Amino acid sequence: MLSLWLSRFATDRIRRSREIAAPLAVYGRRGNADVLTAVDGAAARIGLTPGLALTQARAMHPALEAVPEDANADATLLDQIADWCLRYTPLVACDAPDGLLMDITGCAHLYGGEAALIADVSARLDRAGFAFAIAVAGATGAAHAAARYGAHGSHANGDERKVLSPLPLAALRLPPDTVASLARVGLKRVGDIIDLPRSPITARFGGAVVRQLDRALALEDEPLSPRLPVAPYAAEQRFAEPIAREEDVLAVTERLAQRLKAALERRGDGARRIELTLFRTDGALRRIAAGTSRPMRDAAEIRALFTERLAALSDALDPGFGFDMARLSVLTAEPCAPEQIGIGGGDETKEINRLVDRLSARLGSQRVRRLIAQDSHLPEIAAAAMPAQATGTDDGWAAFRAYRAAAELAPRPLRLFARPEPIEAVAEVPDGPPLRFRWRRALHEVISAEGPERIEGTWWSEHGGPARDYFRVEDRSGLRFWLFRAGLYRDLAPGDAAPAWFVHGTFA
Amino acid sequence: MIEELRRRLRGLEKPPGLEDGPTALPLGAGAVDTVLGGGLMRGALHEIAASSEAHVAAATGFAMGVAARAAKNAVWIAEEMSALESGALYGPGLDGFGLAPERLVTVAVAQRRGLLWAMEEALRCRAVACVIGEMRHGALDAVAARRLSLAAAESGALALILRAAPEDDASTAATRWVIGAAASTHAHPRFTVALVRNRRGARGQWILEWSDSDGRFALAAHAQPVAQPVRHRPHQKVA
Repeated sequence: MLSLWLSRFATDRIRRSREIAAPLAVYGRRGNADVLTAVDGAAARIGLTPGLALTQARAMHPALEAVPEDANADATLLDQIADWCLRYTPLVACDAPDGLLMDITGCAHLYGGEAALIADVSARLDRAGFAFAIAVAGATGAAHAAARYGAHGSHANGDERKVLSPLPLAALRLPPDTVASLARVGLKRVGDIIDLPRSPITARFGGAVVRQLDRALALEDEPLSPRLPVAPYAAEQRFAEPIAREEDVLAVTERLAQRLKAALERRGDGARRIELTLFRTDGALRRIAAGTSRPMRDAAEIRALFTERLAALSDALDPGFGFDMARLSVLTAEPCAPEQIGIGGGDETKEINRLVDRLSARLGSQRVRRLIAQDSHLPEIAAAAMPAQATGTDDGWAAFRAYRAAAELAPRPLRLFARPEPIEAVAEVPDGPPLRFRWRRALHEVISAEGPERIEGTWWSEHGGPARDYFRVEDRSGLRFWLFRAGLYRDLAPGDAAPAWFVHGTFA
Repeated sequence: MIEELRRRLRGLEKPPGLEDGPTALPLGAGAVDTVLGGGLMRGALHEIAASSEAHVAAATGFAMGVAARAAKNAVWIAEEMSALESGALYGPGLDGFGLAPERLVTVAVAQRRGLLWAMEEALRCRAVACVIGEMRHGALDAVAARRLSLAAAESGALALILRAAPEDDASTAATRWVIGAAASTHAHPRFTVALVRNRRGARGQWILEWSDSDGRFALAAHAQPVAQPVRHRPHQKVA
């Protein structure tokens, strides 16, 4: 576990955004007073410490540059740094407010060992202008403590005891009042409590002390909650020379996909959602995700998918000074039968799926849809348009046809309005079809009508509305409409307004 | 030897599944198919316009009839506006009309450029037999029409442009139709069909009837453009 502590995070953030010559401090309201919450190196050298009242600090050093704290900006920057750290390991967690935890198990060898990895992180953070401390240890607690209390560098597994013993008890991430009460009885360093009997400590100071100690000593597991879900498959590539051209990015994508393919094949999986992460030299990150309509492994197809995605980006793929690393991760994988692979076969379903993927990648998966039938008697719910990539093999039409045949369902319109449009209608008899109606300012004279087809509202839902009587009517010019009256005359109480008429769809 | 190789190459270049298929899609009504020279040309662009905004559903029906006859998959591409103006395609209605909704992919696009791109893209797919782009208003510029024609010619699929009102612009489309609803009194949907441009033959005007059970168009029995309502003449047989 690698713990990174940005020791002057708040002031470093401000110094990155503008040039400040004077000593810098950040202040915030604590209780009733403005107190310093962070100071930079220059301010620390002239004797300012966090916790000092702002007025006092200003009196001591009139030249002091004091900036109000901004927790949101801090959190955003910490997130950005965490993103940037994804280049080292996919398991990165924020250790708020000013630290990060990275599980580098199995990743350090890519850089030539832990020491080399630490050197790489250090060089890059140095260039970015951050003060920091890094420690690597077997347990999260130990790494955290070592980074913040001076035992920097890489510590081997099992060395926790030696590393922790000289550190103050606050290093165990205990609440300040617990630390204070331990100090009152003379327990000041971790070494003081390591060998004490456990139960009296628990009885007197609460379970947290022993639990945190055990975690720091790697006797108890401490779960790490990474910021981003870890992709089941990922492949990455670092470039000696940053790449910037779109064709290069696509070529790299295909190469990475080729590598993922082997891993996917071994486990019999295919990718349903793929993400391309591009690491810019200046630390910025670009994530581009693409979905597929079926499990996919073919590198050429994945490349084609990202070709569309890159073309559809609303803002250009800004490479700055170039990307120095790329990672292709499979975010969602599904089992995929081996015969589905390969580009040669002319299978129709596969062809249409490929088209759906291409269109979805460019236009967005919400815009490319298939119609599915749903089990409902309400016409607006009986069919729905679902994203084509998400619809499975059972789209409900077989069941719908069986139902239509059994129930002798009246014909349905070809086009349906999302919202029924109100019309002014005149009917001959209250329960009958309209004689004429006005829709979109045009008057239609009904020459024939079929109906009513009564569709009851849903009793279990307030929005089901009243029963509707549907009529298929044809006007003098041959236009055919699907009209309904919302509400029945038999349900009207005296004094109620007459039921309203709507046009719900149009027939061919 | 070289001739032999060339011949084999031609065979390979042809998209599979189309070698034996007819190049024209008969509509089913003999008189119309004769004028068209066998039917609606596959691998070409056709424009279908509603005679006015109110008749969009009829034009949709005509296009869907063509799509149903074309078999295989169809792709429907429309600007978002058209779903609000004329309603969205309704699955149960399509199913009753004779076009299985499983065979349809619908695409909503924000602007004209996206519509043309999606049409071209869909035309390139070998599993798609019919691509319908609902364009509503505005001229189709010549370059876009040419591109669509070429893409259709390459794949052998039908490219249909659906409009809410007839446009009088020059176009590279093989045919241009103006469709309106005709009095049918619910038996089978009927359309007034006007073929106003035909690159390969004469023009014409008919009243066609769509039979969902047979999946074909037919000439309506009484082809009177303004038929009196049938219900007042019960002795006359309704086709």
